[in-house]
Amino acid sequence: MRLLVLAVLCVALMVVDARFETLKPLRSQMGLVLTPFYWLADLPVRTWQRVTEQLTSSTSLVAENEKLKAEALLMQRRLQKLAMLTEQNVRLRELLNSAALVDDKVIVSELIGLDPNPFTHRILIDKGERDGVFLGQPVLDASGLMGQVVEVMPYAARVLLLTDVTHSIPVQVNRNGLRAIAVGTGNPDYLELRHVAETADIKVGDLLVSSGLGQRFPSGYPVAQVTEVVRGSGQPFLIVKASPTAMLNRSRYLLLVFSDSRTPEERATAAAEAQESADREAAAQTIPVEEGQEPPAPATPPAGPNNSQPGAERQE
Amino acid sequence: MITGRLNNGWVIWLSLVLALLLSIAPMPQSFALARPLWLGMFIAYWAIALPHRGGMGAAFFFGLMLDVLSGTLLGQNGLPLILVTFLVLSLQQRLRMFPLLQQSLVLLVILGLGELVHLWLNTLAGNRPPTLLFLVPVPVSALLWPWVFVALQWARRRFDVY
Repeated sequence: MRLLVLAVLCVALMVVDARFETLKPLRSQMGLVLTPFYWLADLPVRTWQRVTEQLTSSTSLVAENEKLKAEALLMQRRLQKLAMLTEQNVRLRELLNSAALVDDKVIVSELIGLDPNPFTHRILIDKGERDGVFLGQPVLDASGLMGQVVEVMPYAARVLLLTDVTHSIPVQVNRNGLRAIAVGTGNPDYLELRHVAETADIKVGDLLVSSGLGQRFPSGYPVAQVTEVVRGSGQPFLIVKASPTAMLNRSRYLLLVFSDSRTPEERATAAAEAQESADREAAAQTIPVEEGQEPPAPATPPAGPNNSQPGAERQE
Repeated sequence: MITGRLNNGWVIWLSLVLALLLSIAPMPQSFALARPLWLGMFIAYWAIALPHRGGMGAAFFFGLMLDVLSGTLLGQNGLPLILVTFLVLSLQQRLRMFPLLQQSLVLLVILGLGELVHLWLNTLAGNRPPTLLFLVPVPVSALLWPWVFVALQWARRRFDVY
């Protein structure tokens, strides 16, 4: 009797939860109450990490410091070049009359838990509704896209990784702009490209970047690198496997991206206006600066939302 | 926590909370497949030891907690858990007479049934595990059962729960 009542209740809950929105607030409240659980469950790992951190010898710290400095130097150099390229890109886009690139705002969050079910690839992060996280928000790590937010609780959020079976993302080949859809396989090591024509120009080593066509992920972030292309397998389409560039099972710090949610038209108008005002400013100030190409960036990057690279400011 | 009621019910709750914690605790990738069904085992113990205190309600409640914690549909873990509890409760008279090994054999079957129901629900919800590996936790739990039983029995006697 008890079994029957509770089982019916369970089934009813499942249906309601799957089909309607009514249980979402309840879930999020329960999530709030249960958030300390994740913290508690993660405590041993955290303690262990802190202990190993304490025990790292100073020599290895010095070595790491050296390495990071060298890396920073390399990055600086690339940033200088980037400033110039951005400038050029903006000008070319202006010529083409298309929307300008907008720099996305990001916040950093930390991983606090993994999904106990080994067949789903989901993780938990320590930022939630209170930090402005929203459903469908893209998540990155230092080397590429990781996934998107699928559930928001007040102080935590759940992220579906690229490699989950239920996840797919529109991508394009960085080399030639060929579009495709990268589908998760349930294997943390690779994604598969679906419906790539037998004659498509794609080869091992190609970088796949997000194309932004699904209106969910911002465009231009690296997603995966092609590792295997099988032609003439008798299947109607190519079999293409690609390994994600993000370190899906190693990254502890993740970036949450706030790309702007305006429609393309609005974005284009805003960008055009920004361009115009920037041009006016530039015309007012810097016609005389001509003599000799001073190293990287041209003297005045147009002010506006598009150029917020710190490198550009440092040049002057 | 203070022993508010005379029969130390908090020990049961504490052990179940511990089971909940264990079932979401991070594990190395290679062992994640073999994560024992802590909640199922703990609830089964209390159902065998103290059947008069019910257990169905607790199974339902903790199942929902696990659903929230693991982000599945509400009831997806609850339904298998109440099924397991029901089966254990209905076999309780016999189970408590069995030696430990025989108990774990019966539990192997019961937890396996629970996992199969879980598989159906997972499939309905749209993520079907690709292989039969989802059954690995069942034998692992059955192997762990004697230890769990002894530990919980110690706790029950130590704190005099009845």
